[in-house]
Amino acid sequence: MSDEEEPTSRRRLLLWLVRGLFIAAAAVGMLWLFLGYEPPEERRWPGREKVVFWHMWTSNWAEVVRRICDRFNDSQDRYEVVPLTVFGGSLKTLIATSGGDPPDCMAQWEAVIPAWAARGALTPLDTLMPAEEWRALRDRMYPAVRDIGMYQDHFYGLSTGMNVWAVYYRPEYFRQTGLDPDKFPETLEELDALSDRLFQYDKDGRITRIGFTPRWLVHYIATFGGSLYDPATRQITFTNPKNVEALEWITSRADRYGFERILQFESGLSTTMAASWPFISGAYAMVLDGQWRVEQLAKYAPELEYRVAPLPPPKGGKPLACWSNGNFTIIPSGARNKAGAWAFMRFWSGVDKPERAAEFYTWGGWLPITPDVAAAPRYQAYCATYPHFRAFLQIMASPNVQVTPPVPVQAYMMSRLTWAEDAALRRHLSPREALEQAARETQRELENMGIGREGNRKEMLNVK
Amino acid sequence: MARRNNLAGWVLVSPVVVGLLVFTLYPFLASLALSFCEYDLFPPPRGVGAWNYETMFTRDPLVWKSLTNVLYYTALAVPLGIVMGVGLALLLDAKIKGLAVYRTLFFLPSIVPVVATSVLWIWLLNPQIGLVNTLLRLVGIEGPTWLASVAWSKPSLVFMGVWGVGGSMLIYLAGLKDIPASLYEAAVVDGANAWQRVRYVTLPMLTPVIFFNLVMGMIGAFQYFTQAYVMTQGGPLDSTRFYALHLFFEAFQYLKMGYASAMAWVLFIIVVGVTALLFRSQHRWVHYGR
Repeated sequence: MSDEEEPTSRRRLLLWLVRGLFIAAAAVGMLWLFLGYEPPEERRWPGREKVVFWHMWTSNWAEVVRRICDRFNDSQDRYEVVPLTVFGGSLKTLIATSGGDPPDCMAQWEAVIPAWAARGALTPLDTLMPAEEWRALRDRMYPAVRDIGMYQDHFYGLSTGMNVWAVYYRPEYFRQTGLDPDKFPETLEELDALSDRLFQYDKDGRITRIGFTPRWLVHYIATFGGSLYDPATRQITFTNPKNVEALEWITSRADRYGFERILQFESGLSTTMAASWPFISGAYAMVLDGQWRVEQLAKYAPELEYRVAPLPPPKGGKPLACWSNGNFTIIPSGARNKAGAWAFMRFWSGVDKPERAAEFYTWGGWLPITPDVAAAPRYQAYCATYPHFRAFLQIMASPNVQVTPPVPVQAYMMSRLTWAEDAALRRHLSPREALEQAARETQRELENMGIGREGNRKEMLNVK
Repeated sequence: MARRNNLAGWVLVSPVVVGLLVFTLYPFLASLALSFCEYDLFPPPRGVGAWNYETMFTRDPLVWKSLTNVLYYTALAVPLGIVMGVGLALLLDAKIKGLAVYRTLFFLPSIVPVVATSVLWIWLLNPQIGLVNTLLRLVGIEGPTWLASVAWSKPSLVFMGVWGVGGSMLIYLAGLKDIPASLYEAAVVDGANAWQRVRYVTLPMLTPVIFFNLVMGMIGAFQYFTQAYVMTQGGPLDSTRFYALHLFFEAFQYLKMGYASAMAWVLFIIVVGVTALLFRSQHRWVHYGR
């Protein structure tokens, strides 16, 4: 090495040292960002126990949730609920739970209770309250509210608002056709006859207005008196004769008006969101839809004349029957502040004080969890403002409302049921064959879950 | 000195090396291990031997359905994409006025994000108010319900795929520029007409590029996902449930991460197998101008 090269190589070494330090500093910074950094958050009461609440609402709904959280925070001095809108909440909650850092409670509307409870990811809420309180609550809740939260004798999700469906109809079309809008059909057969008269076509035979077309088999299972699962034998019961009857009725109605023609007509309609719901523009004379439309119609089409009636049952079927789903709050099994989360959930749902919760339910236009909330003066005043809401309350109280059966493969079950309906509507299979195939596949899926965990998953999931 | 240079080299490439090891190699190997486990995001994964692979071939008819769908799509879309890509490149290689404008126009769709393209095509193929059926109605044809029809859903997606052929067209154009002019001159001297020049000079000289696009197109087709996810969610009647879509549903809707990993490995083996077959076939039809 010559004398001249010596200083150059030293300079180079120094240069590499500086670069190395820079890279190391950057790496440390990134590690800190990924692992240790917590963004500053706005806390009104930093001294209180924090209750992290994830939910899926945005815009106006998020504001309603924020107001409820504020009310809770103002009502006591131990906890502070910090709400956060989380997109793709189901998967994120699962990942957070399996990573050991879940929220303290979370609002959900996807059918996750059985699937997550079977995996041990949820806290049974009945273990967070004294036995008498749980018994009293169980007896007071509407049947559907109780059923949607249950999985294998434990209660995992407390509803914050249920959905039920009824028939919305346009009296002006009744009158135009020479029908009396005050005499809504009392049987499904009468509804069919009425639908035939209310359908309208253009000169080329294309549909311009739908009378009534049933879609989504799950909405009609209850009224026909069918069921999807038998907990006693742990068998999928898609092939229950009443279910087959319901699907045969759906396909016969589609055949009558032409399935392709209906598809074509409906594909040209606007979305079903709020103000652009095609019922407003007159695309449907009668349509089955949920209670949230009442407030939407008041807001976006205040002049529209419409009425609401429970779906009439077929001969031998069940009155005031429908499928129900809803929003509910859950506590992940690894939540840090379960007591705080439960205090907040009780507060919101009115477990301890129905009058207070009645106000929250009117803010969101939600169906309450118990008749006491519905009977509260505040809620009754809301029903006086939106009289159409009463039909939904009437349905809510009915023992004939069904929720999706609590099996740990709910999502799969519903997708196969939809497939069966599609297969029957397209004449790919007969209604019976389609339901048989979907039942076989769902039963197999249920049995496929019976492997692995602690050597005998079947027992754990209580799957036959 | 050399050692110091080596060290400097490693320091500089370390972000890439670490990234590859942590974000590619680790998930790659982890998914292989998970494919022999039952794993629903709740640790620990539970070993189940070859159960997932057995389930795929014996207990899940949708695997076969999704494989059939993907083969159908690959068999139609890849050759059609090549024919359209080469055809467009030949047309746009001609010396005509406004060439740059045409090239831009044909290339443009391929830079539109896939989700945007999918939403656009949902509208174009709308049975009632879509442009395609409106045009068909003008000539007295009542078009099908496209994406809502079992028979037409897959052809609709193939049809839509042709729209994004601009990317491969650009590669063919570059390939055309690479063909020595002397070959055409020789062909003209030998009395070859335009078609003969395309058939005996252009196409053989373009085969390396066609081969590249064939392999890449085939790999892409086997992984076909986004358009089906956005436009049809696998329906109607599972007619657009492609393999990657089925895999996604199993993983993220039904939380069967182990099973989905097994599906991913089977797909990997199929793609490697088909690629190997294509490579073995290339000596018969790919000319490297040697």
